[in-house]
Amino acid sequence: MGDARAAVIALPEERLHEWVLEQRWFASKAREVAQLNVLEAVTLRESPPKLVLALVEARFQTGTHELYQLPLGLRRVDEGWDEGVIAEVDGWTIYDALADGAQAGELLERIRGSADASGEHGDLRFRSVAGAATGVAGNADIRPVGVEQSNSSVVFGDELILKVFRRLEPGVNPELELLRFLSTRRFPHIAPLVGWYEYTGRLMDATLATLQEYLSGARDGWELCLDDLDGFLPRARALGVVSGELHTALGSDLGDPDFAPEQPSMENLSLLTATVDEEIERMFVDLDTEDPALAPIAGRAQDVRERLQALSHIGTGGRLIRTHGDFHLGQTMLTDRGWVILDFEGEPARPLFERRRKRSPLRDVAGMLRSFAYAASAAEQQRGATAPESWEDRAREAFLEGYFETVDATLLPPGRDAVFKLLSVFELEKAVYELRYELNNRPDWVGIPVAGIARLLEDRETA
Amino acid sequence: MNGPGHWFEADPLWFKTSVFYEIHIRGFFDGNGDGSGDFRGLTEKLDYLQWLGVDCIWLLPFYKSPLRDGGYDIADYYEIHPDYGVVEDVRDFIEQAHQRGVRVIADLVMNHTSSEHSWFQESRSSPDNPKRDWYVWSDTVHRYEDARIIFVDTETSNWTWDEQARAYYWHRFFSHQPDLNFDNLEVQAAMLEVLGFWLELGLDGVRLDAVPYLFERDGTICENLPETHAYLKRVRAEIDASYPDRVLLAEANQWPADVVDYYGDGDECQMCFHFPVMPRMFMSLRREEAKPMYEILAQTPEIPDNCQWGLFLRNHDELTLEMVTDEERDYMYTEYAKDPRMKLNVGIRRRLAPLLDNGRDEVELMHAILFSLPGSPVLYYGDEIAMGDNVYLGDRDGVRTPMQWTGDRNGGFSRADFAQLYAPPLMDPVYGYQAVNVEAQLRTPTSLLRWLRRFISLRKEHPVFGFGTFEPLEPSNPRIFAHVRRYEDDVMLCVHNLARSAQAVELDLSGFKGRHPEEIFGRSRFPAIGELPYLLTLAPRGFYWFQLVEDDDEVDDDG
Repeated sequence: MGDARAAVIALPEERLHEWVLEQRWFASKAREVAQLNVLEAVTLRESPPKLVLALVEARFQTGTHELYQLPLGLRRVDEGWDEGVIAEVDGWTIYDALADGAQAGELLERIRGSADASGEHGDLRFRSVAGAATGVAGNADIRPVGVEQSNSSVVFGDELILKVFRRLEPGVNPELELLRFLSTRRFPHIAPLVGWYEYTGRLMDATLATLQEYLSGARDGWELCLDDLDGFLPRARALGVVSGELHTALGSDLGDPDFAPEQPSMENLSLLTATVDEEIERMFVDLDTEDPALAPIAGRAQDVRERLQALSHIGTGGRLIRTHGDFHLGQTMLTDRGWVILDFEGEPARPLFERRRKRSPLRDVAGMLRSFAYAASAAEQQRGATAPESWEDRAREAFLEGYFETVDATLLPPGRDAVFKLLSVFELEKAVYELRYELNNRPDWVGIPVAGIARLLEDRETA
Repeated sequence: MNGPGHWFEADPLWFKTSVFYEIHIRGFFDGNGDGSGDFRGLTEKLDYLQWLGVDCIWLLPFYKSPLRDGGYDIADYYEIHPDYGVVEDVRDFIEQAHQRGVRVIADLVMNHTSSEHSWFQESRSSPDNPKRDWYVWSDTVHRYEDARIIFVDTETSNWTWDEQARAYYWHRFFSHQPDLNFDNLEVQAAMLEVLGFWLELGLDGVRLDAVPYLFERDGTICENLPETHAYLKRVRAEIDASYPDRVLLAEANQWPADVVDYYGDGDECQMCFHFPVMPRMFMSLRREEAKPMYEILAQTPEIPDNCQWGLFLRNHDELTLEMVTDEERDYMYTEYAKDPRMKLNVGIRRRLAPLLDNGRDEVELMHAILFSLPGSPVLYYGDEIAMGDNVYLGDRDGVRTPMQWTGDRNGGFSRADFAQLYAPPLMDPVYGYQAVNVEAQLRTPTSLLRWLRRFISLRKEHPVFGFGTFEPLEPSNPRIFAHVRRYEDDVMLCVHNLARSAQAVELDLSGFKGRHPEEIFGRSRFPAIGELPYLLTLAPRGFYWFQLVEDDDEVDDDG
């Protein structure tokens, strides 16, 4: 019997190279990878099917690097395993272990048993949350459920879901950090944290995976909204209530430096406004004035910038807190116990330190409001359903009503006027970002951010 | 908290595309209201620096010091000056900077210490003291006589008699700054230990102050000696072995041909300041001709691929005129130091904006030239808002006044009483904090600050400025400074008009036939380049940066 670790280390680089580059979670396709190295390989099960957790470094021509997590399975070649195969080494088929229920089950067992493992340069720590329901029926069906940009997930018998982070960055992942914070405080509107595993050692300290309760029978907020715009309206208020409660909870602990609300600095608002102002300017430079979809805002750069100036005339106030960071309908689910909020990873394209920054909670609110604008149009494009007159306005109103009811008012700038102004700054920032994105990727959707920007201009005209 | 898990980005060439920002901690922001800037205050302003696009902060010395030379007289390498906080505050600051993707390097003076350093106190105490040999002692002043005196305004000799030691000690700078004796192996080891301490704490590198003077040898000018290079190579090797991605930046105010020796074969310092190019930029501007810049750049040798020049317009010192001819120096004094108070040693102690008569076009043009040259630009705090100077303050303090954050009391620099401030903020009608401050410029889309931020981000979008070639065009119009930068597929044409009047210029761009110049600020497309000279007209003190874009749509006529 060969040593599993040795087989993984002996993985032919060109095969590994080829396989990694094909993966959706591999972030840097465009850049030329100079080298792929297995920096750490920890055997988690020595009996077949063997399991080795590998940390693989991609090195680029310029000397930069990225680190990825690869749980690898090893089965005898004669078994004929054919899912996620990377290479054959010494009579072993080496493959992506997350494609194999038996292997994912081993990770779950490790978390349950808090069974740590040591590598050459550091340790893998498996942890379960005290009192959390880690039980899964023995015959539970284990299935991979899709691969995102940054992670791969596995569901255990509709009871638990394991999210494995592929691209690793130093520091605690906000997904773990926020879930742990909220679970400890018994915040009811999340899928509670059950466990996790992490790596700590010379290479870096990083969160490798989180294990949460799986919301079976829950409905995705985005899909639900698109399926039934009218039916969503009465639920929008409840979503606002839950969002307000989320921010109140996130801003409730003065003792934990990672979460304690902070006073925004003197320049905070000016820096934000200046940044958005420049994004607006640059966007308008690139705008094709002939495009009819852009007609409502074409040539109005100065109006938009003046509007932003007017919005920014508010004093400093409110607090900066840890936020969801990527808040929209697609991050919510409706369950039999009401709305549940998911995915606290933040925007995966941003570096981890940036995702962990404290910000005004209104940035999350703006994200959700923009999501309503998208829902109205998407229902039409994807479901052929015309949004009822002023649906977006009503959804916004209901959501905000619920939100203001439960959010800790000290987290927001003082006074309704200031709150709405700051909210509008964030909405404008978001809409400008959306417009740039849609122009490059989905020209059919350009009308949505255009309408959003036009709306913020009208607000002034009616105000 | 600065363990391996927290700052991880492997990028050994990060400094090649970075924008540096030099900070005098005392003058940046007062976090505890005692009238002096400190690390806590600096940490509060990190968001501003991140917003500006700064990649790396360079801190002036913050060590324990009697401050008779702005902190370059270090009395203890392991402690920081109490006005600035404690070592823990430095650690916290570095951690917070790293969390914003901003690196931090700091000044380290290896050549000499303060006379108050315990090493010197021990050394002078007796000929038998174990540290006696840590400094350079002599019974006569007739050694190393070929070494020049640097601080000609204050010093008459490089030797000073010490009553207690009954001997002369060697000092290349102020007499209160005795030179360490690097021939002593214990000194060499002690300095490596100091470096290790600060790199361990998280610093991304050090600027080695006064580095050419580490060793002394009779019959030489005691600058740039082979022993100095050998020691620096050792320093580099030891750092590389334990601390990845760190940078050594040499301050060697020398001619380019001598400075390049500090790069070694890419195994000594990664960065050196290019001192001589700076006065020539000011000269070119005043004379309205590009020749001084072309000349000095032509004299600048190639450097190893893993190295980079540090370029600056102004810094915390006087605008040094050591690396110019006597004639050029006279010219510079006449043009830029009309008041004799503005002169200091061999240089001019003024900030950027006053040197350029606060001309916005001139400030922009000088930044454009700086940003277009092969090297990493180093900005000096306050110059991004066109702060002024105060020639009535002594030595170089006139260019180290408090940063002007707002139009409020003390310019928003400190909550202390005015009388408590380490130096008065500028209050004159042109450069004073009520007219010139960060807050106002943030709110004004056309301000210098906002312009500079856009310019920094634009430069960073094009790695060509960090990695690319430098190909001077030397057009027939002597008032135009034009050159091409090239890196992989990215070709950048930079054209600057040094004249106070509008100028036309014809450039031979035939090598780029078929490409379109695209102006990179406004993204306007200019007519395609053909066989004939390419004609451009430039506004007074105007400049254009073009990306020469290959056009895929059009079939080239050779086809």
